[in-house]
Parts: sequence; structure tokens; C-alpha cells
Amino acid sequence: MNKWWFPVVTAIAVLQGCASVPRGNIPVVDSSSRVSNSERIQGKRPVATAPARGTAQAQSLPEDSGVTVMIPQGAGASPIQSFPAQSGGAPIDTTPIDTMPINTTPVTSDPNPVADEPFDIAAMSGGASAPSAPTGIPQNNRSGGLSADEQLDGPVLALLTTAQKQQGSGDLNGASSSLERAQRIAPREPQVLFRLAQVRLNQGEAAQAEQLARRGLSYSNGRPSLQAELWNIIAQAREKQGDSAGAALARQKAKVNL
Amino acid sequence: MTRSRSPRNAKKPRPGRSRVLLGWALKLSLVALVLIAGFAVYLDATVQEKFSGKRWTIPAKVYARPLELFVGQKLSKNDFLTELDALGYRRESAASGPGEASVNGNTVDLNTRGFQFYEGTEPAQFVRVRFSGDYVAGLAGNNGGKLDVVRLEPLMIGGIYPKNLEDRILININQVPPYLLETLIATEDRDFYSHHGVSPKSIARAVWVNTSSGAMRQGGSTLTQQLVKNFFLTNERSLSRKLTEAMMAVLLELHYDKREILEAYLNEVFVGQDGQRAVHGFGLASQFFFSQPLSELKLHQIALLVGMVKGPSYYNPRRYPERALQRRNLVLDLLVEQGVASQDVVDAAKKMPLGVTKRGSLADSSFPAFLDLVKRQLRQDYRDEDLTEEGLRIFTSFDPILQMKAETSMTETFKRLAGRKGADEVESAMVVSNPETGEVQALIGSRQSGFAGFNRAIDAVRPIGSLVKPAVYLTALDKPGTFTLTSLVQDEPFSVKGANGQVWRPQNFDRRPHGTIYLYQGLANSYNLSTAKIGLEVGVPNVIKTIGRLGVDVDWPAFPSMLLGAGGMSPMQVATMYQTIANGGFTTPMRGIRSVLTAEGEPLKRYPFQIQQTFDAGSIYLVQNAMQRVMREGTGRSVYSVLPSSLTLAGKTGTSNDSRDSWFSGFSQDLLAVVWLGRDDNGSTPFTGATGALQVWTSFMRKADPLPLDMPQPDNVVQAWIDPNTGQGSDQSCPGAVQMPYIRGSEPPAGAACGGAQESDSVMDWVKGWMN
Repeated sequence: MNKWWFPVVTAIAVLQGCASVPRGNIPVVDSSSRVSNSERIQGKRPVATAPARGTAQAQSLPEDSGVTVMIPQGAGASPIQSFPAQSGGAPIDTTPIDTMPINTTPVTSDPNPVADEPFDIAAMSGGASAPSAPTGIPQNNRSGGLSADEQLDGPVLALLTTAQKQQGSGDLNGASSSLERAQRIAPREPQVLFRLAQVRLNQGEAAQAEQLARRGLSYSNGRPSLQAELWNIIAQAREKQGDSAGAALARQKAKVNL
Repeated sequence: MTRSRSPRNAKKPRPGRSRVLLGWALKLSLVALVLIAGFAVYLDATVQEKFSGKRWTIPAKVYARPLELFVGQKLSKNDFLTELDALGYRRESAASGPGEASVNGNTVDLNTRGFQFYEGTEPAQFVRVRFSGDYVAGLAGNNGGKLDVVRLEPLMIGGIYPKNLEDRILININQVPPYLLETLIATEDRDFYSHHGVSPKSIARAVWVNTSSGAMRQGGSTLTQQLVKNFFLTNERSLSRKLTEAMMAVLLELHYDKREILEAYLNEVFVGQDGQRAVHGFGLASQFFFSQPLSELKLHQIALLVGMVKGPSYYNPRRYPERALQRRNLVLDLLVEQGVASQDVVDAAKKMPLGVTKRGSLADSSFPAFLDLVKRQLRQDYRDEDLTEEGLRIFTSFDPILQMKAETSMTETFKRLAGRKGADEVESAMVVSNPETGEVQALIGSRQSGFAGFNRAIDAVRPIGSLVKPAVYLTALDKPGTFTLTSLVQDEPFSVKGANGQVWRPQNFDRRPHGTIYLYQGLANSYNLSTAKIGLEVGVPNVIKTIGRLGVDVDWPAFPSMLLGAGGMSPMQVATMYQTIANGGFTTPMRGIRSVLTAEGEPLKRYPFQIQQTFDAGSIYLVQNAMQRVMREGTGRSVYSVLPSSLTLAGKTGTSNDSRDSWFSGFSQDLLAVVWLGRDDNGSTPFTGATGALQVWTSFMRKADPLPLDMPQPDNVVQAWIDPNTGQGSDQSCPGAVQMPYIRGSEPPAGAACGGAQESDSVMDWVKGWMN
């Protein structure tokens, strides 16, 4: 009889052993994480993001229609001009505060590093004087000059072009992001701020569009056509915010500046 | 196995009962069979569910800003090479593969690795960077073609870990370097491609080896079993677990092919411990030990990683380099033995050093203050689980080069000032940002760099002393009809009676009145008497409102003492306030995060650049002018004994009562830094703002070498010539006449031109003094 039990006990023991495994199994961490309600999981695409970039390429505008960059007409000859306010105002300078800025901006004070820049700009202006100008920036900029830090037009131009393509395909977030990248490279280039303001307007952020345009204005001394464009943005932004009086005022400014 | 045991036992009983027994046995084994089958089905479901779904939770990864390269960019070659080193670029004689760089005089060639950013993919490419001075002078691509702008891949600076702190970088089996799979299989499971999950052959071999050597030297587990053990089971050592493991291994092999199993293994395997964080998978291990992506590893590095699988802590190459080297070479020998690699190749690999980096460069602890800031900002938008499980990629504005410079400045300055009594107990915090974008670039929360704890940059709210003064003067200068930079003010003792009957008697730092002075001198020299007077005239509540408009909402009571900085702020708040002044009157929220991508590289969220104009640019221009005079002639003038006079800067010192807090906050065109020194117990320090915080600030600015401040003159500002003695209008032709900015209409009427030369008197001389 005892021996009967031997196989039974063995079998049960073995089964028990196996059966115990699920218990051991329980502590396994469920790492197949719960899906949350956050935007990223719901859709592969974030809420406000525009169509995939793949299509962006396909839809994008003709190659050259990119960005109009205001290059002074005699770019090759004298690409760098200082702000009138600075060059005109003070011959002086007993005040150190005023003497510093222009003359000692490192880029210009160090003769070597970017000595070949003017040529780059000249080359670019050739490439950039594209046939069509869908940006709305007038191409001939009568008095616009490039301040010292605008020498960085190579990368800025490239990024504005990228942003243009993204905007053209409806990827406003991407465009915005590229423009902010350009802004980090050339924080005082009013055209970047202008384009950023445009994108914000398209994104329905009128208040921000106005603010960015105002910031752009503070860097647009002596560039009346760009100032006019910036005032136009402000007018549109105010219109969208229901401030028609303010919009009219801005429109008037735009005219004065032209 | 269980099945075969019961019949064997059943054969033993006496013949008379054998029939019954057999019947029982049959029934039992049937039951067992059913049970086992049922269990197998259950296991199978478990295996499949786990394996086909998302296999791991991945903590969010936090990245520094990618370094942008373009012609004309201010970047020294040394800083560039520092960045490359941090990114694990190898210096070679010629850059031929991703992650390789070669330096040749002023030219650096490199092959970038490529990266998925919010705006799109940055391709891996060859780049030649030419430096001239501290600028990038040339940027060319593969066949010498000019490149407009190139981004390096960003440095990973940390992650956001869940409680179990398991971390990994997922890798794809198609992107592993040559030799990795072969080495792994040769070392851990040489029959991997021929067995079905369990390998009797290797068990037999293990038994043979272990019995003949008398020690546990070899395990018989297949890679599949190891994976199952790590992936599905606990560490419990029992027969039942072993059996389940074997069953699951077989089931896994039934459903998935060898490469899939191998890939899971590569990602699951535990390879080391980084503080509290468990390093899983070869992808993270490669970054952790070599600061390189897995795909770039060479044979000797692969052999080390594979060797470590056997005992990650025992063979830790940082702690036990000799042990690890021995193990690595043993693995390399195995490769020759099994014909995976030739003797020559292995000999060459054996000659290589271990090549591990000093510490886990992506250790969570490297930049705790900044990561803390990032986490706080993220927690406003995400649930903890999203951050610790979804493998989000967080792109920040963190600049490792500036962070290093800030940390070095802090350490060096403290070393230099160590002689001061009580300097040892002084703690510190620092905020570095770009005022033009509002982005935080570096953060120090403690004097001890890398120390995660009380984040003083964000949490230490301390009296800001004279740092408040620009707000007082801005409030005044915002009324151009009443105040100009050259308004005459009295720096004389006075007292006011507060609402509670208390009498407030401000005093200058030098305890002396300075008589009649120009308004700007009160700020430049940080005179308390004149500042308090101006503040009371414009009204304390208005000054507090100004601070609000500068971007910081404080709940200070409107006591007169607030005019001299009795109110508290954190260094971050100070930075916010000064940023508005630096940025022409536009406030920008301090941002640490730029964008967030999903684990798959899909754009998820952006933190856009936002500004809000809260002050007239003209008023700001005037305050900036006065703050530049702080640096040229006032309390901050010591900077120009270190920095070139061509570097225009604006700033303000701050010292609270009894030197409990030493502050300096100031900016150039593109860089703003706030430094605070003080004791956690609020005791006195041996430092004033000028002798303490300013020293750190100066040292940092010297290293960072920013662009000089150059705010474009707003339309409503005019420069007028004045006589420095009287403040009356003068003319350019007059000797000693100086130019001062005014809001249009508030300037003094122009004086008559001067014919002959006039004598300049002594007051003139000091004015000239700071001009030279």
C-alpha cells in the first residue's frame, strides 16, 4: 500500500512544483506599461502637428521659392553696414558705453576668422534672389543693412528655407521649431522674428505674433520695408484679438514706414 | 519529464496489483498531462503576451542642447574638442567612421552620428571644421562642399527613473557591431543556433566541467533560458523555477526566431550598476562604460562587455580592472578556439587597454541641479509614469560647456578665497541663461558640484540686497518727465516713520552720505540713501509692481526696507527679473526644455519661445546704461581688472545685512549669470556682493567670453551732450562734455558750442578716468 503512494506523492509533488510556479510568476513586473491618455499614445502624431515630413517634401514649393533675405544691394562691395543710429549719431565718444558696441564686436575686431564672410554673403544673395517671393518680404530693400551679427546669414538662410518648406506643407510646429533654431543662431535678426511672428499668427497665437513682431521692430532700425511688414503683422494680430482701433493704428504705422 | 517518471515508478509494484496500479498510473499521468498541458498553455500565453507587447519600460532621456556649427560661430577649438570628448568621439589619424574625429592644427575632421530632432533628422555625415581664433571659420562636407549649418548629436545628461531604476537604451539587432553576436554566443551558449531553448549538450558539458574541476565554473543555461529567467521569472532558485524556465525557453523558441530572441537578450541582460540605477542591455552598457554608441564598439570592447555578463559586479572594469582584463582576454581566447576570430585579430585586441571612461558620463548625478529643473517643468505636463516608462526624449537648452565653466569658476574662486574666515561654510548657487532666448544653460544648486540635494538655485529664497535697485531706478526712469539719468538727487540721511510707528533710517554701506549726485550714480555706486529716497518718491508699491512687470511676482509687504532688498528671491527669480532688463523690456519665462519626442522619434510637445513686452525699450535702455556704469565706475568695476574693457557688461552687486548674502547678477549681450553665496544657516559670510559673488561671476565671464552688450538704441532715445559738472546741456565741442542718453524730450537743452579750449577740473578727471 505504501508503495502505492510513492508514485502518487511524486506525481502530486511534481505537479505541485509546477503549480507553484505561477506563484513565482506573479512578482514579474508588468513592464508592458499601461497606456495613458496623454496625447502621444492616442495618436502616433501629436495633436497639433502637421502631416508627416515625407509628404512635406513632396508638397513643398518649387525649390527656389524659398526665402527672400534682405541683402543689401551692393552686398559684395560693402556687406556690412551699421545701424544709422549708431553710425550717424556719435562721432565722439567720450563715453565708453557708446564706443564699444560697433567697433569692438568680436567678429569685426578680429580680422581673420570670418574674413571670407562678405564673399559668402555675396554668393548667397545671388542664390537667394529667387524669382518669386512668396514670403511677402519685399525683395528690394532700399536702406536695409546688415548689422554685425547678421553676417551669419548662411545658417540663418538655410534654416529659414527649411522653415518655409515646413510651413508650406502645413507643419507649423516644425517651422516654428526651425525658426527658433535660427533665432538662437542669430537672435537679433529681425527677419527671423518676422517669420516667427507669421507662423504664430498662422498658429492662431495672435498675441504672441504681435509680441514677436514688436521685438523684431526693436532690431529693425533703418529698415523701413521690414518695419512696415512687421507693423502689418501687428495689425493682423490686433485684428484677430478684436482690437480694430489698434489694428488701424498699426496699419498707419506700416504706411508711414514705407 | 514528469510524465516519464510516473510510469517508471508504476512498474515496480507486485504483479497481483499491477493492473490496478497501471490503471492508476495511467490516470495519474493523464491528469498530469492535462495539468501540464494547461500550464503550458498558460505559460505560452504569458510568454507571448510579454514578448509581443512592449517589452520594457524606458525612462525618459534628457539631452543637452545639440552643438550647432556654422561659419562665424563663436566657438573655440578647445571647447569644441571638449564637447567631442564628452560625446565619446575617438581621436584617430583620419576620421573614417561615425564617432571618429581627427585634429589637424586648426582643422577638425569628424564623422557625426546623426540624430532625430524635433525639426527632423540630422544625417550622419563627414564634417570638416576650420577654426580661426575663437571662431568657426570654415565648415565643409564630404567633397569639400560648403555646409551652412550642422548639428552634433546632443549629449545625454540624465534620465528620469522609476523606483526600480532599471535603465536601458534599446538597440536593434541589425545595428550591432561585428563580432558582438558571435562573441556572445561563443561565450555564453555556443549551441545557440542549434538548440530548441534547452541544450542537453551544454548541461552535460557544464556537469563535466564542474565535476572535473570541483567547482561551479560553468552553467548549462542557454541564452534563451537566461533571457527567460531575467525576463519572466524571479531570482528564486528552485527545481520548479528551473522547470518553468526550461518550458518557457522551449515555448519562446517555438514562437520566435533566433534573432528575435537574441535581440531581446541584448536589451535585457544586466551589465552593471550605476549608483541606484541598474544598467541593462548592451546599448546602455556601451554608453555607460565607453561613452559610445554600441554600433561603434571594437572587438576588445565587445569582449569586455560580453565577459561581464557572467558577473557584472565581480568583473566591473572600473572597480576591478585587472580582473576585467583577464576575463576579457579569456573571452578573446575563446574566439580563437571556436574559430570566430583569427589569432592575429585577437592578439591585436588583447593589446588594447580596457578603454572604459572614468565614470559613467551619463550618470544621473552629473548635473543634478539642471535635471531637477527639467523634472519640475516636466511634472507640470506629464504624469510620473509617462516620464519613467515611455522612453520620452527630452531636449533641453543645457550647455555642458558653460556648465563646466560655471562649475570651474565656482571651485576656483572658492579656492582663491579660502583664506577668508568662515569661507568654508559658505554655500553657493548659480544660474546661467541666454537673455535673448530665455533659455537656462547651466545651473549650480550647491557648492559641491554633482551633489544632488537642496537645489539652492531654485529653492533658496534669500534677501536680494541691492539687486533690487535696478527695479527702483527703472520705476523712476519710466517717468521721463520726472527722472533722467542726470537728475540731481540727495544722498543724505533721513528717516521715515512706518505705519507701525517704527522709524526707518537707511544707511550707506560706507556709513557716509554722498551729497548731491546724479541719479545714475546712486545705482552705479549702490548708494542706499539716494536710492531709498527715489524709491519713496516713486512709491514702494510701484517698485514692487515693477518687479512683477519684470517677471517675478513677489508677495513682499510694501515696507520701505524692500527698496534696499530686504525681500527674498531665489537665484532663478533674480535671473528672470534681470533677463527682462537684458532683453530690452521683454519678459521671457525661463525655459529649460525645448521639445519632447516620443520613443519612436515622433514630435510630441514643444516649449516655444514666448515673449511679452512689459517695459518701454527707452526706459530699459537708460537702466542698462546705468548698470553699465556699475561695471565701469561703480561697485562692479573690479571686473575690468580681469576682463577686457571692450567687453561691455551690465550688472549689479547685492549684499544683504551683515553680509549674509553675497549676490551678483549681470549680463552681456548673450549671456546672463546670477551668483549667490551664503550660508544655509543664514549666518554672516566674509563676503560682500563685490568680494564674493562678483569674483565667481567675473571668473565665469572670462572663461565664457561672451559678446559685448549692445542694445540697439530705441527710437525714443536721444544722446545729448552734457557738462558733467552741472548736468546742463553742452556741446560736443566743449572740453569734457559727455554724452548721456535721454528719453526724447527729457534731455537738457543743448548748450552753446565752445570756441577755445577750456580747463578741465578735477571732477572731470574722474569722469575721464573710467573712460580710458
